[in-house]
Amino acid sequence: MQATGMRGIAIVAAICLVAVGGWSCTSNRGPKQELNLFAWSEYVPQSVIDGFTRRTGIAVNYETFSSNEEMLAKLISGAQRYDVIQPSEYTVAALIKEGRLRAVDWSKVPNIKNIDPRYTHRPHDPQQQYTVPWMAGSVGIVVNTDKVTDDVRGYRDVFQPKYAGRIVVVDDPREIVAWALVTLGKGPDEVTPATLAQVKPLLQQWLPLVKVFDSDSPKTALLNGDVDLGIVWSGEAALLYNQDRKFAYHLPVEGAHLFVDNLAIPADAANPDAAMAFMNYILEPEVSRLISADFPYTNPNREARKLLSPAELQNPASYPPGDPKLETFGDIGGAAVQIDKLVTDIKAAG
Amino acid sequence: MRQGSAAVAAPVGRQTPPTAAAWMLIAPLLLWVAAFVVAPGLIMLVYSFCQRGTLGGVVFAFTLENYAAVFDQTYLHIVVRSVVFAAVTTAICLLMGYPVAFYIGRAPARWRNTLLMLVMIPFWTSFLIRTYAWVTILKSEGLLNSLLVHYDLVAAPLELLYTRGAVILGLVYTFLPFMILPIYTSVEKLDQSLVEAAFDLGAGPLRAFSRVIVPLTAPGISAGALLVFVPALGIYAVNDILGGGRVDMIGNIIEDQFKGTARNWPFGAALGIALMLSFAATFWLTSRWQSEPR
Repeated sequence: MQATGMRGIAIVAAICLVAVGGWSCTSNRGPKQELNLFAWSEYVPQSVIDGFTRRTGIAVNYETFSSNEEMLAKLISGAQRYDVIQPSEYTVAALIKEGRLRAVDWSKVPNIKNIDPRYTHRPHDPQQQYTVPWMAGSVGIVVNTDKVTDDVRGYRDVFQPKYAGRIVVVDDPREIVAWALVTLGKGPDEVTPATLAQVKPLLQQWLPLVKVFDSDSPKTALLNGDVDLGIVWSGEAALLYNQDRKFAYHLPVEGAHLFVDNLAIPADAANPDAAMAFMNYILEPEVSRLISADFPYTNPNREARKLLSPAELQNPASYPPGDPKLETFGDIGGAAVQIDKLVTDIKAAG
Repeated sequence: MRQGSAAVAAPVGRQTPPTAAAWMLIAPLLLWVAAFVVAPGLIMLVYSFCQRGTLGGVVFAFTLENYAAVFDQTYLHIVVRSVVFAAVTTAICLLMGYPVAFYIGRAPARWRNTLLMLVMIPFWTSFLIRTYAWVTILKSEGLLNSLLVHYDLVAAPLELLYTRGAVILGLVYTFLPFMILPIYTSVEKLDQSLVEAAFDLGAGPLRAFSRVIVPLTAPGISAGALLVFVPALGIYAVNDILGGGRVDMIGNIIEDQFKGTARNWPFGAALGIALMLSFAATFWLTSRWQSEPR
């Protein structure tokens, strides 16, 4: 008994010594570089992340969110320090105002020159100090041309009584109010109690005609045949077009939302150099092409566009033809509460 | 008869206080409840009196505007709708669940476990997947409509999905097991001799049911009603998926304050506190109905 007991203790002690020795050996190699990436779910291809790790040896911790507000909630809670975040342009405006972003050292991100000048120095980041454009897109009208034979070119054309119960729209009160504002000839950021009172009757006419409010996957209702037309994100429309050419995409004549999703570095990032290396990496044309292949939004990278296939460039949702009227959103601060209340009120009445 | 059911519920005899060992045994549970139920509730209470931060979050400045907003006409309308939906769901679950539970409770012992398994098995699938399955069944080109059109029972596909009916269907489907199981427990404990005594004393089947069986299974009914009504009040996923985002209930409004355009955490917290108070009120009412002397 005693001999076995002694042997057991000796074995355990040996294992402990080896473990401690091994652990101290690894820690002597120095701190491992890592990147904490906080991005939209379904927006960063795994091939891009793997390519970055292969190139630089930096491990990437990829965490996802499904709305800008969710990202903000986690960011300001401070529970986890992120190195790269992926805000939309109106969120960037708010973050810069609150001093939450770290300025980018452009000497470490020289590939910024690949971006088309139309997407830089925009109102949300006028000096192009904090952000790198990721992908752009629009919110426009998609029509199932098998079921809808009329020409649908603007918001007023969509919200007609004859399409009652056949419409899908994104479940985003800010977007919905913006459509009404531009239809009345105002800017999408002109959100005051007065303008909201003016758009209310218009929305009271429009919203009861909508069958489905869906921000996550509006293409589902269109593919199911439950609705015939809708106002959705351009990426969704591009995927519909790739699946079946009967889904046509138009930018509303009254004016459409151009959204620009960006990469930015939070002010308290622990690995800013890794973050800037990642930004420089995705600005390379070959890598940007991979993003376009998986997520057919509008690629703001001039050099990457030269590498895209003709089929990709001809997709009217990804690259709308002509010179449409497009505007980005800014930050509207506390007025967002009024927007939410107005849309909730009208939806509940229906 | 009331005394019979009360006797099952209330302990008899002198009660000895818990020993130190007993406290140690339940200490982990108390700590868990304190950390994950009481503490978040207190945080929510504090937040509900704060002001909205610019990027979301709260600013620690006292205000009552959030509670004032709860009683705003817009949100009150939605609260009433949530209560109505939850009540309708509870009623339908009761009407459908009671016969099932009664049958299982009175079935031969060798069948009871199998039948209970059949009720429980859907539970093992993710609730979200089961809700999406209803989308596949109810959509215009879905299973039900394809069947009806194929056999010429209808001329064109019925609009079943994205309606209030679909939401009620989804809610009843989700909560039916919560009603069946508590009622089954009560039915199983039913003393058949009491029912036979009722028949002997001249009661017909209807009278025996309403005057004897229902009061004896009352604990199960009220437990089932509570287990269905309270969660149904706060649900947001089922009505979002099956209602096409048009049938907003109180749960959706709260979600919107944290994950939507408004970024108004204090208001979301105030709505949460209001919801918690209504749960407490429901619980209090049910326990009063139960202990009411007949």
